Amino acid sequence: MSDVPSTTGHQHLTPVWQGIQTPKFAVWLFLASEIMFFTGLIVAYLNLRTNSHDWPVAAELLSVPLVATNTFILIGSSVTMVLAFDAADRGKHRRAAYLLLATAILGTLFVSIQAYEWSELMREGIRVSTNLFGSTFYTLTGFHGSHVAIGVIWILAVALKAFRGGYNRNPLGIELVGLYWHFVDVVWIFLFTIIYLI
Amino acid sequence: MAQTQEIEHQEQAHTEDLSFIRRYIFSTDHKVIGRQFLFSSLFFFSFGGLIAMLIRTQLAWPWKEIPVIGRTLYSSTGNILSPEGYPALVTMHGTIMIFFFVIPILSGAFGNFLIPLMIGAQDMAFPRLNMLSYWFMVPAFFIMLAGFFVEGGTAAAGWTSYAPLSALPTMIPGSGIGQTLWIVSLVFVGAASIMGAINYITTIVMLRAKGMTLFRMPMTIWALFITAILVLLATPVLTSVLLLLFFDRTIGTTFFLASAGGNPLIWQHLFWFYSHPAVYIMILPAMGMASDIISCFARKPLFGYRPMVYSIIAIAVLGFIVWGHHMFQSGMNPILGISFMTSTMMVALPSAIKTFNWLATLWRGQIHLTAPMLNALAFVSTFVIGGLSGIFAAATPVDTYIHDTFWIVGHIHYVLFGGSLFGIFAGIQFWYPKMFGRMMSDFWGKVHFSLTFITFNLVFFPMFLLGMYGMPRRIADPSNYNFLAPVQGINQFMTICAYILGLVQLILIANFFVSLVRGKRAVDNPWQANTLEWTTSSPPPKENFHTAPVVYRGPYDYSSPEAKEDWLSQTREPAAAPGD
Amino acid sequence: MATTTHPKYPYIRVFLGLAALTAVEVGVAGLALNPTLRVVGLLSLAIIKALLVALFYMHLRYDHRLLSIVGGIPFVLAIFMLILLLLDRMMVM
Repeated sequence: MSDVPSTTGHQHLTPVWQGIQTPKFAVWLFLASEIMFFTGLIVAYLNLRTNSHDWPVAAELLSVPLVATNTFILIGSSVTMVLAFDAADRGKHRRAAYLLLATAILGTLFVSIQAYEWSELMREGIRVSTNLFGSTFYTLTGFHGSHVAIGVIWILAVALKAFRGGYNRNPLGIELVGLYWHFVDVVWIFLFTIIYLI
Repeated sequence: MAQTQEIEHQEQAHTEDLSFIRRYIFSTDHKVIGRQFLFSSLFFFSFGGLIAMLIRTQLAWPWKEIPVIGRTLYSSTGNILSPEGYPALVTMHGTIMIFFFVIPILSGAFGNFLIPLMIGAQDMAFPRLNMLSYWFMVPAFFIMLAGFFVEGGTAAAGWTSYAPLSALPTMIPGSGIGQTLWIVSLVFVGAASIMGAINYITTIVMLRAKGMTLFRMPMTIWALFITAILVLLATPVLTSVLLLLFFDRTIGTTFFLASAGGNPLIWQHLFWFYSHPAVYIMILPAMGMASDIISCFARKPLFGYRPMVYSIIAIAVLGFIVWGHHMFQSGMNPILGISFMTSTMMVALPSAIKTFNWLATLWRGQIHLTAPMLNALAFVSTFVIGGLSGIFAAATPVDTYIHDTFWIVGHIHYVLFGGSLFGIFAGIQFWYPKMFGRMMSDFWGKVHFSLTFITFNLVFFPMFLLGMYGMPRRIADPSNYNFLAPVQGINQFMTICAYILGLVQLILIANFFVSLVRGKRAVDNPWQANTLEWTTSSPPPKENFHTAPVVYRGPYDYSSPEAKEDWLSQTREPAAAPGD
Repeated sequence: MATTTHPKYPYIRVFLGLAALTAVEVGVAGLALNPTLRVVGLLSLAIIKALLVALFYMHLRYDHRLLSIVGGIPFVLAIFMLILLLLDRMMVM
C-alpha cells in the first residue's frame, strides 16, 4: 500500500506522501493554475502580434539594455532566494533571513525599474489605450509586475518570521515562497523574450 | 484484530466552544461549508428556473402581457417583456444555472461534503482555504444580482458574452455596467473554484485513510478528483480572458475590437478553452455519483471499475482539445475544424464505455427502484440522448446547419438537465440522510421523479425538431419569421409543459424542507451501502469518524460470496483463512 | 524538516549560466537574422533558462516526479493552445 499517505493519526501534522509535504504539493498546484493564467494572456498577445502587419519594434521604443539589466536583477533575486532556503536547510538561520531580505530588495528594484520604464514609454505617447502594442505591453508586464510586488510582500513577511527564528525547526515556509518567486522569474524569462527580443 | 487509531481531540476546537458565527457562518468544517454551497445553489436553481419560465412565456406568446410578473418587472414597458429584455433573460438564465447552480452544487456542495467522508479523513487539507472559497462566492452572488438593479440592466450578450458586443459599453442596453458587473462576478467565482480545486486535489492525494489506495476510491471521488484537475487548469484561462474583456470595456484596450486591430476570435478561443472543460466539470461528478448509486441499488459491483476510471480520465484529457467545436461557424481557420471535429468525435467514446458499463452493472442485478435510483437511471438514459445529439453537432458540415439553432439548446439541456440535474436529484436524495440525519420521503421522491421525467422530455425533445426545422436560438420573437409559423404551436406546447415542470419542482422543495423537521431519523447506513461515509453516524460528528477508518477492500463488494448480507463495507476485514 | 544530508547544489554555477545565456540572448536579438531562425533561437534560449530555474532552483531535478508532472502538464496544454491560435490567422475580408 505504498500509495497511501502516512499520517501520525492527527491531521494537524503535515502528512507526507512519497516524500512530498502537503503544503508543497498545494503550492505546485497553485503554480499550475498560474501558468494557465499567464498562458491565456501570452497566447492572446502572440495571436494579435502575428496577425498584425505594423507591429512596432520593441527595441526602438524600449531600452533593451535597461530591461536586460532588470532581467539580470530578477535572476539574481532567484539566486539569493534559493541560497536563503539552502542556508535555512543547513541551520544557518540568520544568514537565511538576510538573504530573504536581499531577495525582497532586488525584487523591489525590479518593480521600480519597470515602473520607470512605464513612465518613459508613456512620455513617448504610448499608453494602454493608444494601440495594441500598448494594450498588450502594459497588460503583460503589469500582471507580471503585480505578481512580483505580491511576492515581495510575501518574502518580507517570511523574512520577518525568519529573523524571529520561526523557521528554525522547519524551513518549509521559505521553500514555498521560493517556489512562487522562481515561478515569477520563469514567467519573466518568457516575457522578456517574446516582448523585447523577438 | 483491526488496528485502529484513536483520533486525538486536544487540538481540535470543540464544537460547543464555538460561537454561532464560527459554527454556522464562518465555519471551517467541510460539512457545514458543503451545506452552505448546497443551499446557495438551490436558491440560484430556483431563480434560474423562474427566468426560464419567463423565456418560455415569451417564446410561446411573444409580446403579450405577462400576468403578475409583468406588472412587477416590466411596468415601464406596459407589463410586456422589452426587446432588449429577452437577451438579458437568456444571458442570466445560462450564467446563473452554470456558475451559480450546477458547478457550485456538484463541486462545492457534494465535493465538499463527500470527499473527506468517502476517503476517511477528518476534514479537507486546508479547512480555512475551504471557508475562503465559499466566502469568495458570496460577493460573486451579490455582484451578479446587482446587475438587475443597475441602469441598462444585467448583461445581455449571452452567457458566452461574445465580443465585440460584450466589449463595447454602448452597444445595446444590457452591455453597460451590468456587463462589467457580470465580468467581475465571474472573476470571484473563478477564484473560489481554483481555491476549491487546490484543496480537493491535495486532500484526495494526501489524506486518504489507511488502506484507501487510489483504486479503492469510489467513483464519486475519482470523478470529483478529475473534475478538480479540470477546474485547476481551465478556470485560470477564463479569468485571464475576462480580465482582457474588462480592460477593453474600462481602460481603452482593443484586444477584441477588430476596428482597432484586435481579434474577436481570441475571446471565443480563450472563452471556450475554459467553457468546454466546464461542461465536463458539470457532468463528471454526476457520472461518479450515478456509478455509486446504481451499483448500490442494483446490489452488484460496478462493472469495469478500472475502465470507468480510465474513461473519466480520457474524457478530461480529450475535453481540453475540443473547444473549437463551438466555433465551427466563427470564421476561424477551417483547418482547425478538422482537428476539432476529430477530437470531438473521439471524446464520445469514453462516455459510451461508461454507458455500457452502467448497463452491465444493472444486468441481472437485484434492482431497487428507490427515488435516487430512478433519478440515476434517468441520468443515464437522457445523458445518452444528449450525447448522441452532440455527435450530430460534432460533424462540422452538420453543425453548419444546426449551430445556434434549437438543436443545440436541446442538446445542452439533455446533458445538463437530463444529465447533471437528474444526477443532482439522485445525489441529494441519496446523501440527504447523511447530511441532515433524516430520511426524505421516497414516495414523494418518486412522484417528483415521474412528473419531472415526463415533462422534461416533453419540453426539451421537441427542441431537436425545432432545430432541424431551422428555428434559431436567442431570438425573442419566432413570429418574426414566416417559416416558423407552423411550429409556433410546438413552442406553446413546450411552454405549458415547462410550467408544469417548474411547478413539479415544488414537490422536491417541499420534500426537502419538510423532511428536515419531520423526516424519519436516519440510521448510520439506511441504504446498506459500502462506502466509508456510511460507517459513521447520520449526520457525522465534527471529526467525521470517532476512530480513523481502515480500508480493506474496494467500494463495490455488493452481493459478495464473502458475506451473508448483500453488501460489504470497505472497512470490513477479509475473512480469516480456514483452519485459524 | 531539515535534510540530514546536505549535498552541494550547483546554485552559483546555474546563476552564471543564466547570466551568460541572457547576454547571448541580447546578442542574438541584435543580429540581423532570418526571422524563423531568430524566433527559434531566442525561444530555445528562453526555454533552456526556464528549465535551469525549474530543475535546479525549484528543485524539480531532486524532487518526486509528481511535482514535475504537476508543473509540466500546463505547459503541454499551453503549447497546444498556442499552436492552434497561431494557426488561426484572421480572415482578412
